[in-house]
Amino acid sequence: MKHPRPTILLPGPALLGVLLIVCSAVEAGGQERFRRTPPLPDTFRELRLPAIESFPLPNGLTVAVTPRPGSPVMTIQLVILAGESDSPRDTPDVATLTARMIGRGTLELSADNIEREMDAMGGDFSAAVSVDYTVLTFHVLSEYLDRTLALLRPMILQPVFTEQELAVVRRTYFYELMDKRKNPDFVGQRQLLRILFENHPYKTATYAEDVVKYVMVKDVQAFYSRFYRPENAVLIVSGDVEGQAAARKIGQHFASWVRRDFERPSLPALAPNTKERVCFIDHPTSEEFVIFVGNLAMAPTSPDYYPFLVLNQVLGGTMGSRLFMNLRESKGYAYEAFSEAEFFRACGVYWARVKVAPETIHAAVQEVIKEMRALASEKAVPEEIEQAKSFLIGNLPLGLESFEGYSEKLAQVVALGLGAGHWNKVSDNLMLVNREKVLEAAQRYFPPAPVVVIVGNRAWAEQALSDFNLVEIYDSMGALKMTLRKGVEK
Amino acid sequence: MNKAVRFLMATVLIATAPPRLRPQEAFSSGWNFAVHQYRLNNGLRVILSEDSRLPLVSVVVAYGAGTIWEQRGQIGLAFLMENLMFQGSENVSPLQHLNFIQKTGGELNANTTLDKALFYETLPSNQLALALWLESDRMRSLSINRQAVERTKMDLLETHRRRLASEPYLESYSVFDTYLYPDFPYGHPLLGTGEDLKNLTEADVRGFAANYYVPSNAVLAIVGDIQIAKTKELIARYFDSIPPGNIVPTPPLPRFEQRGEVVRTLKEILLPTPGFHLGYRFYPLQTGDKYTLKILEYLLFRGKTSRLYSRIMKNDLTAYYLNGGLEERRGLPALKILALNNNEVMAGRCQKAILSEFDKLKVGLVSDDELETAKNLFKMDYLRRLSTGLDRALFLAEAAFENMPTSVLSSELDRYMKVNAQNLNGLMPRFFLPQNKVVLNIKNK
Repeated sequence: MKHPRPTILLPGPALLGVLLIVCSAVEAGGQERFRRTPPLPDTFRELRLPAIESFPLPNGLTVAVTPRPGSPVMTIQLVILAGESDSPRDTPDVATLTARMIGRGTLELSADNIEREMDAMGGDFSAAVSVDYTVLTFHVLSEYLDRTLALLRPMILQPVFTEQELAVVRRTYFYELMDKRKNPDFVGQRQLLRILFENHPYKTATYAEDVVKYVMVKDVQAFYSRFYRPENAVLIVSGDVEGQAAARKIGQHFASWVRRDFERPSLPALAPNTKERVCFIDHPTSEEFVIFVGNLAMAPTSPDYYPFLVLNQVLGGTMGSRLFMNLRESKGYAYEAFSEAEFFRACGVYWARVKVAPETIHAAVQEVIKEMRALASEKAVPEEIEQAKSFLIGNLPLGLESFEGYSEKLAQVVALGLGAGHWNKVSDNLMLVNREKVLEAAQRYFPPAPVVVIVGNRAWAEQALSDFNLVEIYDSMGALKMTLRKGVEK
Repeated sequence: MNKAVRFLMATVLIATAPPRLRPQEAFSSGWNFAVHQYRLNNGLRVILSEDSRLPLVSVVVAYGAGTIWEQRGQIGLAFLMENLMFQGSENVSPLQHLNFIQKTGGELNANTTLDKALFYETLPSNQLALALWLESDRMRSLSINRQAVERTKMDLLETHRRRLASEPYLESYSVFDTYLYPDFPYGHPLLGTGEDLKNLTEADVRGFAANYYVPSNAVLAIVGDIQIAKTKELIARYFDSIPPGNIVPTPPLPRFEQRGEVVRTLKEILLPTPGFHLGYRFYPLQTGDKYTLKILEYLLFRGKTSRLYSRIMKNDLTAYYLNGGLEERRGLPALKILALNNNEVMAGRCQKAILSEFDKLKVGLVSDDELETAKNLFKMDYLRRLSTGLDRALFLAEAAFENMPTSVLSSELDRYMKVNAQNLNGLMPRFFLPQNKVVLNIKNK
């Protein structure tokens, strides 16, 4: 259909004057018109990173290289495809202590020698152990690549585990865990994972500090012998390097690492929590109450992964999300109200985390569950979905900017098998998410009975606890002390 | 030329100099990035640097509005003002600044130091105009009203109370600072007890904002995936018409009248374990001292084989916690150490051991290997500090407040790398003197 052409009136002098005033950049009130509303964004530039180049060596070790041209700092990471869930059930924490024993002496170098050499190059070394994998990370000045590899080779291939060094490592780790126990967020999250990982190898990663003392040198040696194998490892180099040349250098240093046939144990499936369960952890030094409401989700390789990320963002990703707007801004129940998720090889876990005063504990839990149910029963508003996607796509490069952020995520991509061009596909995958897929994800992963964990000083929470039908009471180590029915001990 | 004179000259220039463009200057300190600097008619200093590795941009607006400008009875005013900057402006509702940035996936933060209040955000580079719109709106039309002032005061007091409860050593740090920097402008804390904050009024805040939150007292630094010409157009659009504000006077110079060492015991607060704060002031500095002191810091504290860490934590085992480093408060550096010990006997031994390490440095030359290690550790941290766009923008904004020309910045790393054993040896007897030394002993419960 054609629209009739409008008549154009040529302005006379008086009208021209009015128009000039209207069209001028400054309003009568004194501010320029462009200040009234936020400007429109420019054309969006997608994240494009060089793909991870992989070079398999004859002994089974994979060298992965990600170039960062012009970077004066280089990161070298050894990813061992075994984590805390691979620790024997009767000696949890072996994976962590083994990783920390790397660098505590070799056949030819003492721990002090290694530290001096690392300091001399301006470098640093850290070990991080997650549920699924171990990452040994070395940041060094680029000019010291050869010298670093010469140090890494004996550290990784010829470590010596002595009782004396293990005692130091055990003690340090024990006090770190003791210190973490002061943090109610840590204690609450650990309890949530314990419940969700019940009867699964992942539970091994959730024990308290009291088990550290049981780990002996023979346990460390056995773990190392079993899992620190070239065919079970990936060596990642990121920095101002050319892939082929870096792989050749690493090949020269690590060729003597002997291959042994090894098959990584498969993991049993996990089932989400389906019955109502409320746990209270008595944490007498807490100033406030932290509530976790969570359950299991999918592994990051699942097709539901991206819809779930958007769903989680709508629920509680930022201060504009539903939890914050409802529990803090509208009801005034909570000081903080967000939702988070973490992903593993076998599953994901999500939780809403809310900080409240004792008198609003019960109401806050009900509101969190109500918000989850609302997302599972009705499609989210299109604007919410678009804002969530916009946040996730825009935020992605921020986590990749620093050496530490980039190397941590790189190791995750490699260890969880997310693919060489993972980051370049994230935006496209998120753009495909729509309201229907988010609703489906909510219906699948927000079941009626999430696990509720509350951490705080029990002395201030007696009234709140009587509002729940059944509450399991734990101490801050995670030991079950009693169960309350309507506030009365069963 | 001392810093005060340089600062005075800079403020005069800000108010009178026409905008001028300097040629692009290459900044080379391991990273190669070019820096463009110029000034708007209203005195706002602008620093731009292009870095297109990721589709991000970081924007820093730094005001010369730190705690040094607080009068007695006004402790907390600078921090209150920083927080009020999120309470809305003519076109942005309260807390909407945060929401606008978060909707893009961006992140933001702010902090107040002795001489500056820094506001910064990192967001997708196609949203640069949004960041400039937000920053210019609060620079020109911040909403200051009684309700917002009172609400923010309450929030700050509550947050401060929580922080004091969770960080038992925070108060002892504050007390130590008042001995180490006895001048009120240099040594008073960000919030202290909170008593001054409670009494601050809307008029106090308005006065502070009018004096210090003005373009002629600010630096805008932008680093990231930007086009220089287009960015300049945007900056002109949003910032050019903001009135310059008054000339900010020269901040007071520190004055010390300490004759001998100061040794005090913290009586007001009992902490979980005994320990001590130990510090030395370094003032006034001679040419090159800044670089030598930094390398000294690394030699003493950084890495796992540094002198004090090796001696105290690995060999003597007299402390279970040791932390120390160089702190600079507007050209006034000080070495600050906190040691926590299992008992008072250990605390005494630990303190003696630290002082004996200083004595060794006064009489003997440091070996080439030890010096090389300290310099390499410093180099690594220096390069890391410039690794992200935000890091660079903050670095450039801070350098602008020190009136450091880009030519000096570009050779700065080399100056640190040229420090030698004789420099260290010459510095020790000049500064490690009783009149520069302060000890605050901590008693346990």
